Amino acid sequence: MKPSIIIGQYLPGQSLLHRLDPRTKLLSVLCFVIVIFFANNWSSYSLLTGLSLLAVWISKIPLTYLLKGMTPVWFFVVFTFFIQLFLRKEGTLLFELGFVTIYENGIRQGTFIALRFFLLFLIASLLTLTTSPMELTDALEDLLAPLKKWKFPVHELSLMMSISLRFIPTLMEETEKISKAQASRGVDFKTGKLKDRIYAIVPLLIPLFISAFKRAEELAMAMEARGYQGGEGRTKLRKLIFTRLDIQFICLYSIALIMFFYIIL
Amino acid sequence: MEIQFHQVNYVYQENTPFQYHALKDINLTIPSGSFTAIIGHTGSGKSTLLQHINGLLLATDGYVRIGNVTLSRHYKRQHIKSLRSKIGVVFQYPEHQLFEETVEKDIAFGPKNFGLPHSEIQERIERVIEAVGISKHWLNKSPFQLSGGQMRRVAIAGVLAMRPEVLVLDEPTAGLDPKGQDEIMSLFYHLHKQHKLTTILVTHQMRDALAYADKVMVLNQGIKYLEGQPADVFQQNEVLEKVNLKVPESIQLIQKLNKKFGSNLTYHHQSIDQMAKEIATLLKGYHKR
Repeated sequence: MKPSIIIGQYLPGQSLLHRLDPRTKLLSVLCFVIVIFFANNWSSYSLLTGLSLLAVWISKIPLTYLLKGMTPVWFFVVFTFFIQLFLRKEGTLLFELGFVTIYENGIRQGTFIALRFFLLFLIASLLTLTTSPMELTDALEDLLAPLKKWKFPVHELSLMMSISLRFIPTLMEETEKISKAQASRGVDFKTGKLKDRIYAIVPLLIPLFISAFKRAEELAMAMEARGYQGGEGRTKLRKLIFTRLDIQFICLYSIALIMFFYIIL
Repeated sequence: MEIQFHQVNYVYQENTPFQYHALKDINLTIPSGSFTAIIGHTGSGKSTLLQHINGLLLATDGYVRIGNVTLSRHYKRQHIKSLRSKIGVVFQYPEHQLFEETVEKDIAFGPKNFGLPHSEIQERIERVIEAVGISKHWLNKSPFQLSGGQMRRVAIAGVLAMRPEVLVLDEPTAGLDPKGQDEIMSLFYHLHKQHKLTTILVTHQMRDALAYADKVMVLNQGIKYLEGQPADVFQQNEVLEKVNLKVPESIQLIQKLNKKFGSNLTYHHQSIDQMAKEIATLLKGYHKR
């Protein structure tokens, strides 16, 4: 199975980024996502790009692997670039050929928006690559904990999330197994007419659904057998702890953000 | 059909941090009409090797010859269907592949995909349900109403209805009760003899490898570790223990008796009754002394 997209995959490691508290990482990424929409000139974009590349370097994940894993995203990046390039008609006219006109602002905005798209995907993949799904849901549960006051089912929500994340690889494996079994019985998933290929999905989907329902039932039974009764009075195996590393990271990150706002204002 | 592996290497997810070298320089010849057992610990590459036989996986390096077809990474996928019609693969827990509304439709699924006429399929269904021991009343039932063991038989029938020349079995008896295991294995062995099939069995049951195979291959961490006739391979206790495999119980018994009584009993495919008689004669002689 080829990994077509790497957002959502976890690559175990021991880098500084891996060791950061997941809450720090989650909030930093959230900040980044908001902040990137304020960027409006070359220097602010270069600062954010520099920050992202620095994060990649710290994570010790090969940049080539990241870029290759974003193959499906490249299409959108390039697409947005060209849309902006052709449709923006502001600034000085740089090039004209028939009805195709390219303006200075077109290139500028095209690059910016494509870059914004690219950085968002890069940072999102970096978060999941360095943080295990378990850590991520723990962090989310912890950060949403204040909402419990308003009877918001935080624990249930994070449980649902961790269960679904946990079963993604299992279902992928199952899909691969069943598709191989059906391929051996002459189903052709890869070539042929579109109509035939759509029909070819049926022998894959039905067994998959059946096994998913069976699994859900077994899981529910196992949880009940072990006396699961929700988040009330439940303790955690892995406690989330802010370390000095997190404080250092937050300080440096804040300095970078202050610099960023200094540039754009 | 003869099957040959030439310097086959397979790497999962090449050029990523998840890269995994599953098969290393495998050379192997499986003569037409033979019964080959492949054994090895979990993760030794058995399943990877099997999937090379009908082109589900194509070798990263090296090539596989099946009859007169050569499969390598340059193979064109358009031709793969005619190869697959000749190779029946029974996967682990084959009942997970059932999906049709009725047992009959599910059995017909494979032959239909390979473009056989309706009348031919009907005839094959009748033959095949008899072979696997499915009653005619089941044909119009949903496969999901059946018990686990019955579903397994339906799934196997679906593979056999393709009338393959090569039968690839990936732990076909896993999760069945002892009686069911014996029935399924002797069913395959009977078909193997009757239709002169080339059979490849992946198994954890040393007993099955000893009882049915002409040849045993031991895989360990993607490398061919040992190869030979079952009776020879299973004499090498220490060599097998190094890769966490055990000698079948019947051979263990013979070895222990020989050690204790200084006798020279051998394993020569005798039945349990026959072996009991041989042991009885040995013990009588011992008693007299």
